[in-house]
Amino acid sequence: MQPITDPVTFDIIQNSLEAIADEMFAAMRKTAMSAIIYEVLDLGTGITDADGEIAASGAGIPAFIGVLDKAVKAILRKHNQGGIAPGDVFAVNDPYAGGVTHLNDIVLAMPVFVDSALVAWTATIAHFNDVGGMVPGSMSTDAYEIFQEGIRIPAIKIIEAGTPNQTVIDVMTVNSRLPAFLKGDLWSGIAAVRIGERRLLELVQKYGRATFLSAIRHFMDYGEQVSLKALEGLPKGRFELAEEQDDGAIYKVAIEITDKTFVVDLTENPDQVRGPTNASRDGVIICAQMAFKAFSAARGAANGGSFRPLQVITRPGSIFDPVEPAAIGFYFEVEVRVFDLMLRCLAPHMPNLLPAGGFASICGTVIGGPHPDTGRHYTIVEPQLGGWGAMRGRDGNSAIFSGFHGETFNCPAEVAEARYGLAVDRMMLNPEQGGEGRWRGGKGIEVDYRVRADGNFMTVGYTRTRIPPWGLAGGADGTTNYVEVVRSTGKRERYSLASGVIVNKGDVIRIVTGNGGGYGDPRERDPEAVLGDIHSGYLTPGRAEQVYGVRAESRGSGLR
Amino acid sequence: MTSTVRVATDVGGTFTDLVYFETDDETGRQSIRTAKVDTTPPNFEKGVLTVLAKGKVDVSSVAFFAHGTTVVINALAERKGVKTALITTEGFRDVLEIARGNRPDFFNLMYEKPKPFVPRHLRRETPGRMNYRGEVTAPLNLSGLPAVLDDFRAESVEAIAICLLHAYANPAHEQALAAEVRRLWPEVSVVASHQITREWREYERTNTTVLSAYVQPIAEGYLDSLERGLAGLGNRGQLYIMQSNCGVDSLAATKAIPITMVESGPASGFWGAAELGRIIGEPNVLALDIGGTTAKCSLIEGGHVRIMTDYWIERSRLSSGYPVMVPVVDVVEIGNGGGSIAWIDDFGKLHVGPQSAGALPGPAAYGRGGGEATTTDANIALGRINKNYFFGGEIKADMDAVEAALGRIAQKLGVSAIEAARGIVRIANNNMINALKLVSINRGYDPRDFTLVAFGGGGAMHAGALAAELGVKKVVIPRAAPVFSAWGMMMSDLRRDYFVTRLIETDGVESLAVAAALTGLIEEVALRARAQFAAETIPAERVKLTPFVKCRYQNQEHSVEVALDYGPIETKTLADLIARFHAIYEREYTYRLDAPVEIVGLHLVASAEVGKLRLAPVPKTGASLESARKGRRQVDYALEGAHEADIFNSERLEPGMSFMGPAVVEDPATTVIVHPGQSASVDAYGNIHIENAQ
Repeated sequence: MQPITDPVTFDIIQNSLEAIADEMFAAMRKTAMSAIIYEVLDLGTGITDADGEIAASGAGIPAFIGVLDKAVKAILRKHNQGGIAPGDVFAVNDPYAGGVTHLNDIVLAMPVFVDSALVAWTATIAHFNDVGGMVPGSMSTDAYEIFQEGIRIPAIKIIEAGTPNQTVIDVMTVNSRLPAFLKGDLWSGIAAVRIGERRLLELVQKYGRATFLSAIRHFMDYGEQVSLKALEGLPKGRFELAEEQDDGAIYKVAIEITDKTFVVDLTENPDQVRGPTNASRDGVIICAQMAFKAFSAARGAANGGSFRPLQVITRPGSIFDPVEPAAIGFYFEVEVRVFDLMLRCLAPHMPNLLPAGGFASICGTVIGGPHPDTGRHYTIVEPQLGGWGAMRGRDGNSAIFSGFHGETFNCPAEVAEARYGLAVDRMMLNPEQGGEGRWRGGKGIEVDYRVRADGNFMTVGYTRTRIPPWGLAGGADGTTNYVEVVRSTGKRERYSLASGVIVNKGDVIRIVTGNGGGYGDPRERDPEAVLGDIHSGYLTPGRAEQVYGVRAESRGSGLR
Repeated sequence: MTSTVRVATDVGGTFTDLVYFETDDETGRQSIRTAKVDTTPPNFEKGVLTVLAKGKVDVSSVAFFAHGTTVVINALAERKGVKTALITTEGFRDVLEIARGNRPDFFNLMYEKPKPFVPRHLRRETPGRMNYRGEVTAPLNLSGLPAVLDDFRAESVEAIAICLLHAYANPAHEQALAAEVRRLWPEVSVVASHQITREWREYERTNTTVLSAYVQPIAEGYLDSLERGLAGLGNRGQLYIMQSNCGVDSLAATKAIPITMVESGPASGFWGAAELGRIIGEPNVLALDIGGTTAKCSLIEGGHVRIMTDYWIERSRLSSGYPVMVPVVDVVEIGNGGGSIAWIDDFGKLHVGPQSAGALPGPAAYGRGGGEATTTDANIALGRINKNYFFGGEIKADMDAVEAALGRIAQKLGVSAIEAARGIVRIANNNMINALKLVSINRGYDPRDFTLVAFGGGGAMHAGALAAELGVKKVVIPRAAPVFSAWGMMMSDLRRDYFVTRLIETDGVESLAVAAALTGLIEEVALRARAQFAAETIPAERVKLTPFVKCRYQNQEHSVEVALDYGPIETKTLADLIARFHAIYEREYTYRLDAPVEIVGLHLVASAEVGKLRLAPVPKTGASLESARKGRRQVDYALEGAHEADIFNSERLEPGMSFMGPAVVEDPATTVIVHPGQSASVDAYGNIHIENAQ
């Protein structure tokens, strides 16, 4: 077949790739066994070219999309001697073998062959509730070696030429405290990569291999053009920032922007820690990719070409480039910090492209134990909503997941009460004061889970628990994230990074997430907007007078 | 001579359509009239009365009157509802603002979360609590209510929405609260969530209740005006209002819960496609409705439309939108219609839509100052639409404007104007292909097993190419394609869909206890359905009940519907139900599990015929095909290039006629494109069937 090279055909192939990635996403979402996948949508799907460069991505978590190409490249490196065949499905979760994030996230990848030539890969990544390790849910704040965090899957075949490798699946299953979930979620991911493979084959059959391959090449070039065009509009030069963290550590970043390149230098950072708060170099690159997308072309295509102008420099042995066997269970809080660090570094120079600091934490929350009504074991694995920073011209968004998330949904109280047997006593916007500005930060949330059975456990990974979200251009800082356990005795315990905390009947787990930072001098805020905030109960009259210089006597009470 | 007259009017975004059927009671012979006038916002009833006059309808002779309107979706889209307040459970007034926290535009940090329809100071709380089993864990306390209502009065609130936690499981607190509000303030409009839905998820239910309250006085006012207007014309027949679930409902029920009209336009078209499929023996239908600004599609299997409750307004890749948890036909909608604008991005890529030139200025060809090339302009430039028969000759196509608009696109692409027009048509077609795949392939259906029924002003223009691309064997263009939504209403039953969340806990479902629990659930909902029909003087024996049981593997969230025959459930029925669940699940998702299956709720469809039309064949005069031929002209088919095509006049085509492509059938309100290699024939009811060469 003569290859077709007209741009409309290319566009149609590219649109079809996006549609296939979306279809894979929908398939996995509908069939997954765990709420973390089907409800929170802690998953990603994508298609790469034969070399593992991302060609199309489905919906889901932006932080996951950049994982798949790196995982596929690792599989290619390991199996380059003819070990890849039609019908194979590979699995990897080990960040020292291409897994990128932590052991809970299992990547499944399937090669797509046409006429015995590898033309593409379909891949998914999703969070599995429990992959073994020293605590339920596998993420322990006490872990200091990756061996303590669960079973490591080093880019191996779980399906070989269409036949499941039952030995491997049995080993994976037996290592999980929730084997039925692991099995269900695994098959859901396998279904997704297989659907993707089937659709890709139809597409190649229709247009021919040569046309298909040149369309992908063309798409990558297009991605690069979009990024280069966006670079033109950015301020040039070297920008630096050092920021203190909750634990007193100082993180540093230097970003150098030229007409053709965007270089993120993270060399000057602390050594890797003895604990699970390290992030792999690949993971840190993804943070840079997301930041780069946010201020280059948030709505344009994200593919291998988009990131060609981007370089990331790290130091092996540092917290952003740890060496084996460093633990990485809470990598997400390290990544979200370095992501926020880059945004903070550039925000003052790009006032129309970035908001002030938000709550900027995954606020990963794991709660599990026996269901008081059914006796069955349940596990919640959920990120939290919080307040985003204000931006020039608009107040910040309230109650929305961090910049790491996309089509992620919170769990309705009605569903949580039935499924987990916890009582949700309230779910409201965070009433704490802070984040004022000409435009104010969005509100975080306050949720009370009342435990109804003894012997439940809680694991949390929150940052921005001491250093609040940053205001911008004169706006006030926001408020912090934390978890408070209110014991049935009335005793209060505050947590930010903890695992295996035992909670019993009558105890209340109170989740509080930050209000975002403000933008601009609060004294310049429209007094009507200030009065409106008081009327709606977002702002106390005392605080209004103190921060905004507005006295509230003319309007209503703001009662609940 | 006596005859039965049925009339349907459909108020769309641009036009108000009329379909009039008169059936001779003795001979069964039918005459049909159609008419179109401009829609008349904000007084939509004026357009209805105008179209009735234009169609020369003697309203006093009408036996069955069906009406569809966009008044609800318009009031929502333009934020023209009334000032609405919310009363909810203590601790949960922010649910409406918290929403679900998702962000589809996921790289964009400047994203703007949709604003709630009720601001915080009008969201108030009441003590009292149920658990998920519907048991009271804290008593309802209404002592604070008078003060809350005083505040609402002071704020000039016109409608109050009530949504309490777990009211889907037990509505007692909502009922007591709503009764007390009505007692204390009889004039205010009130709606409680259990009146609309009995499914869980508090944000979705709260938002649905709020939106219903927000549009309630507007919709009621509109329906009152319409009723008065028709009464003034001597109407004595029953007036039915089209709903989003493909059925019609009574005027009174619609006034109480108007939000159920939200997607009534597409629903009646899809229902029409399902009915048409039944009449012509094509039970598996892909229905495609292409209008001025959007294309909508739905899949019909075995004559059944799929009705769901996860509908959202204003949801897109850029916004999370707002959920409306009412029964809505499964519809995928994309911003691709005749008026969709073609544009080139910064990198030389061609896009079509979702921006539309609308009715004003409209496509460049309208000559009303529209300077941007649209899909319609590309179709005219390619000779697919006859420039000398635009809107049946009512509008003179402004070809200078078309050339200029396409020229600008062509220049940026570095191709000829004709190549640009071909590109626009191909991109538009591809967008629609992807939408059709979403309702078919993405749900485990092979489009090759379906017949494509295409309607709306633009359906017939694109369907042939879409069918060829998808491998669909046959396309059917209904005789009434341009007014098909109104046509579909003629065929509608009085129908209500009841969705109820109810967990039936079990280790395995094939037990007597589960059978009893399921029977109890079905009977409970059936009782409610029959009572509602009885209140409208429809006896129980005329109400057809079809239960669908919602099943899933234990621990999953999304459920699969399995149809049952109405009747007592035995353990054998359960075993069969489970077997069919596994099969349906495997078809949709490629695998099955040996995990336990659980029941999470019921979807009960209750319907009764209330005078729907039985279609009679179109009489033949014996005229020859030649008499329908208008001539030949060059037509560019985009992918297949330019061909000399036969041109036919739709009004002269008769049952039994057939011809080969390349051909074009011209109708005053639409154009049917028959591609080279395709064959076309006219069936007994005047529909055009197009088949791909095998």
